[in-house]
Amino acid sequence: MRTEDLIDQLSTGLKPVKRVWNPAFAAMVWLCLAAAVIGAGVAFFGFRHDLAARLASGFDTPQLLSAAATGILAAFAAFQLALPDRDRRWALLPLPAAAAWLATMGWGCLADLFRAGPEALRLSTSFPCLGFIVGFGVPLTVGMLWLTRHAALIRPTPVAALGGLSAAALASVGLSLVHHLQAAAMVLAWHGMAIVITTLIASAIGPRLMRAGLSARAA
Amino acid sequence: MLDAALRSSAAGFLLVRAERASDAADRDARDARWSELMAAAQAGNARAYDMLLRECLPLLRAICRARLRDPADVEDAVQDALLTIHRVRHTYDPSRPFRPWLAAIAERRALDRGRSRGRSAAREVEIEAAGEVAAPGRDAEAEVALRMQAAHLRDAVGELPTAQRTALGLTKIEDLSLAEASGRSGMSVGALKVATHRALRSLRRRFGVEE
Repeated sequence: MRTEDLIDQLSTGLKPVKRVWNPAFAAMVWLCLAAAVIGAGVAFFGFRHDLAARLASGFDTPQLLSAAATGILAAFAAFQLALPDRDRRWALLPLPAAAAWLATMGWGCLADLFRAGPEALRLSTSFPCLGFIVGFGVPLTVGMLWLTRHAALIRPTPVAALGGLSAAALASVGLSLVHHLQAAAMVLAWHGMAIVITTLIASAIGPRLMRAGLSARAA
Repeated sequence: MLDAALRSSAAGFLLVRAERASDAADRDARDARWSELMAAAQAGNARAYDMLLRECLPLLRAICRARLRDPADVEDAVQDALLTIHRVRHTYDPSRPFRPWLAAIAERRALDRGRSRGRSAAREVEIEAAGEVAAPGRDAEAEVALRMQAAHLRDAVGELPTAQRTALGLTKIEDLSLAEASGRSGMSVGALKVATHRALRSLRRRFGVEE
């Protein structure tokens, strides 16, 4: 087919379209949704008994703040990257916050080591952690994929990965309010692993779901 | 003498700068015009959309030509880019320049086309060579009949709905896998299967072939 004929076909019977939300607004909507869902989870399971003491001791606060910042920045970056004309370096936006989270947890491990000795670094299994973060993270990621489905034809994988990172980081904040994990090494291992798993699941299934979403909208 | 030469080179320099400035001004004016046309297209103005796509065509071709050697590939990539532009036209924000939005899409489609070109090159046979093998000693009349049939088929394919034509082109003519075709067209695998099936059925009916 000639390209000029294609243009004729595309413009014949053109339908008006609703513009996508700007990234800041879209991120805000999605963060409100995530906060509501994770908040409901926290309300259902109840705050951990030692939350006030932990927050007052000053160790959990930077961890929570850096995880929340990672979630917020990753969401904003995902909505930016979903648009064709945005710089791909937006993908780096959540990295400083993620590095701060890792640094906080590393510092926590050292502090535990000095306080309690090598025993503090011993890992045991904590599947509820994994379940909470992946269980909340994956459905929230699907919400993000729906909102960024227009990225299916542009760069679906980084957008989906950032969506997964954002959802999992926010779920990790929720989990920290609910679940009792004393040792920083445990938090680092289980929260970290759950966030990585959610991000990988998102980047694996994300592009396909986005395409399906985009086709559903076009149909 | 020296003075005159200096003066003339300074004048030349100023002229070039003035031309560059006027080029940039032209580009800005064109960008602003394209932004307006796209905003109108988003509101459903088909004439603005048609005009915009036609005006962008040389730029799309230039971008694809920079990445692909074969003119047929360039044209295919341009068409892919047009289809993508159409499907994501709601992602353009008229408060931003139009050109980077358009260029990003065209570059992506040209890259995809280049990649699939690299993959399929090994499986292809040159058309001329294939003709010699397939039709030894074919007479002129049969040749004409064959060409007419091909023309009818092309017309019939051209009259299919866009989704069916895209699906048929990607899965049967370019021989892509369903996953690749889905990636290229943005249609889901299920939608591709249905559209290809319907396209083949309507072609069979048209040419009186039994199902």
